[in-house]
Amino acid sequence: MTDALARSETTADRQGERRFPSSVFGRGSEPDARFSLANERTFLAWIRMGLGLLAGGVALEALGLGLHPVLRTIASLILIAAAVLVPIQAWAGWMRAERALRLGRPLPAPVSALPLAIVLGIVAAVVVLAVALP
Amino acid sequence: MTALFDVGLQPERTALAWRRTALAFVVVSAAALRILPGRLGVSGLAAAILAVLLCAALVTSVHKRYRWHQRQLSIARGVAASGLPLAAASALAVLLALLAGAGALAEAFA
Repeated sequence: MTDALARSETTADRQGERRFPSSVFGRGSEPDARFSLANERTFLAWIRMGLGLLAGGVALEALGLGLHPVLRTIASLILIAAAVLVPIQAWAGWMRAERALRLGRPLPAPVSALPLAIVLGIVAAVVVLAVALP
Repeated sequence: MTALFDVGLQPERTALAWRRTALAFVVVSAAALRILPGRLGVSGLAAAILAVLLCAALVTSVHKRYRWHQRQLSIARGVAASGLPLAAASALAVLLALLAGAGALAEAFA
């Protein structure tokens, strides 16, 4: 068991030179590849979330929906700002989770879910106001 | 060979997730190509073309990555794939969002 672990760690070290980023792959031992794949899909879901936010922000600006112009711009800029931050968080979250998998630690908590929910609530409120105000 | 492979079609699901994401990138990049030149001029056009080219690279890399995952899951100690395409996808998404922000600000203060 110890031998197997040691061997897998040297393999990981050697692979760590080739795989990016080495801050993730240079440490720990190789987890079940299915967990890495699930982590990758979670990352991709966050990326699509970011692209969705971006599409929403651009649509508010570009579609000429007859909304209150100032509130519309505010809602649009909040969505686009979130679309800048979400992919960065997606990458950081993927690295955190992959590192935890490799070191056999508990997975990190989904820290970005609540802030995003709050931001989306604020955007929804602003859009409702933008529809209601003349 | 172990029983590890083909538990829940993992490589297929991951490849499909990449395709969905690539499709979303293509849609957003096409919108950028349509909207940005009118708002940011030549630099907007150049940035939008860059985004479209990066999209094409992303789409073509999906199949290669799928084959890697499939091969790795067929051996006992499969090795996770490099994070480089993930970093590239993050960077492209941030680039597109920054461009959209610049376009929106250019419109707001026009």
